[in-house]
Parts: sequence; C-alpha cells; structure tokens
Amino acid sequence: MYGDGSSEILKGCKCGGKLFFYIKKSALERQEEHIQLSQKDKEQIEKDVYDILGTQIDKEKPIVLDIESIKILRPGQYELDIVNLFKKQPLIYKLEEGKYVIDLIQSFKKNK
Amino acid sequence: MVGIFKKILSKLFKNIFKKKKQLKLGIYGPPNGGKTTLANKICEDWLGEEMGTVSNIAHETREIQIKEEISIKHKGKELKFNLVDTPGIATKIDYEEFLKSGMKENEAKTRAKEATKGVIDSIKWLDEMDAVIVVLDSSKDPYTQVNITILGNLEARSIPVLVVANKIDLKKADIKKIQSAFPQYEVIGISAKFGNNLEDFYDALFKVVK
Repeated sequence: MYGDGSSEILKGCKCGGKLFFYIKKSALERQEEHIQLSQKDKEQIEKDVYDILGTQIDKEKPIVLDIESIKILRPGQYELDIVNLFKKQPLIYKLEEGKYVIDLIQSFKKNK
Repeated sequence: MVGIFKKILSKLFKNIFKKKKQLKLGIYGPPNGGKTTLANKICEDWLGEEMGTVSNIAHETREIQIKEEISIKHKGKELKFNLVDTPGIATKIDYEEFLKSGMKENEAKTRAKEATKGVIDSIKWLDEMDAVIVVLDSSKDPYTQVNITILGNLEARSIPVLVVANKIDLKKADIKKIQSAFPQYEVIGISAKFGNNLEDFYDALFKVVK
C-alpha cells in the first residue's frame, strides 16, 4: 500500500506494476472485508482492468483506479456504483509529471 | 479575392456533403429485460433483418449495437432514426451466475468482464441519445436501483422517455406495478418476443419522439 504522491505511484512499483487501486482512508478504517488474492488473481485483475478501460490507456504510465465506482472483488466478480458512473465522476487518475490528471472523458473516449 | 472565392467554395462543398444529423433512439434497461428482442422486432418490421442475438443468459449484448437509418411509417406519419441497442445496466456482475447456465469458468469470467465494460459504455452513450426506450421486464419488481437510476438520469438530462413493460405474455406480468412505480411516464405493455401490442408501442413512440 502506498500513500498519495509516493514515488511508487508516480513512477510505478519496483515490481513493474503501474496499476494502483485508490482506497480512501475511511474505507480502510471501516475494516472492510479483505479478500486474499493470489498473485495469479492480481495479474488477471490487472489484465482485465486494461481490457475494460480499452486500448487508449497508455500501459507505460501509472494508473490509479477509483474503486469507489468499480469494485473488482476477484477475477470475474464486479460491483458497479452506477449512481457515480452516471455522474461521470472520474474513474481514472492518470499521473503526469507528478500530478493527478482527472480525465474520464479522455480515458473513455468511445470509438464512433 | 481568390481567398474569398476559396472560402465560399469550401462552405458550399461542406454544406453539400454535410451528413444530416440522424436522431438517435436508445434502448436502455437492466439485463434480460428484452432490449435486443425489441430492437430485433423493430428491425425485422422495418428493415427486414435482425439486430443482434438474444439469449436467456443475462448480458448477451455486451457492446453497443447500432442500426442506421430506420424509417418507420405508421398511420400516415414517418419517423427516421438510428437505433442504438445498449448492454444491460447492472450493479453487480458475477461470473458464478453464468456458471449456473453451464458456461465454462474462463468463458464466464470473460463474459463478466465484457458485461462490466458494457455497463460503462451504455452510461457513456446516454448523452448522445435524443430519445430513449427503457425496457423493463413486467414480471419483475420495478423498484430497483438500476431502474430508478436510469430513469432519474434521463429525466435530469431532459431526454424523452418511453417505458416499455415487456414480457406481458408471462403469467407473472404486472404492467400496473410498473405504471405505479413510474407514474410520470407513459408505460406500454408489450411482448417483443410474440409481437403483442406493437401498434400501441409505435403510437407511443411517435408521441415521445416528436
């Protein structure tokens, strides 16, 4: 787990991972049920997230997924906060030059 | 002088070839309400071809489907639109539900992932719609978060809505329950599968899409 603005989030984890899940402090404090995921599951979730977000995401840049809108419990199990999704609240926090850029529309540009 | 002439010519050229904006009619609703069955029925009636595949397993439609330039002629009036069939909107998508239908685990997980993407796409497309048909299963409880959220967001965006209570051929069907859940909308009971009450449906569609 990494704090806001940590070098891992800005540059990517030492393990090579560039996909992060955003967890609010309050959610941590609530001690929600933590599901133990295997390394294989984690890799599968990462792959699935990239598939869901589409090809326009630059895999080389770190991405933080806001799990308030989409929760992935384990591969193949999703919970969607449609109220938030309809509000078009940002799902993706792209990191550029050490700053969070909230850009849902760009991230989800549709192919017409 | 040559510049002005070029500008006029360019404008004229653009106007000639500018595509007239087609009205977009979206079909929205929870999974398995019969959205694609209705889309197929409309397409069969007016284009002579189907739009997509239907299935008893939820989330069969996982990508936005568009049929362009459908022209409905009904009681001396004509309505032209692009029909947009959308993936079902859900709050929970679990591959284990698909396993019950005999699907293999990998296939079920892929379906769940694609269905999740489908929900995001459906929501993303909402602002593009000029009018929306919300298809609900009349044999199921209408007081769900999905139904209320979809209709609430359509109202907030001032998008004209026609609520369709589908599957009236089922014994459990209860159109009145849908009418009392959403009294501000005209609710038309149909069976898209058997083509029941489509006359009333087309009447209502013409009223909603003016």
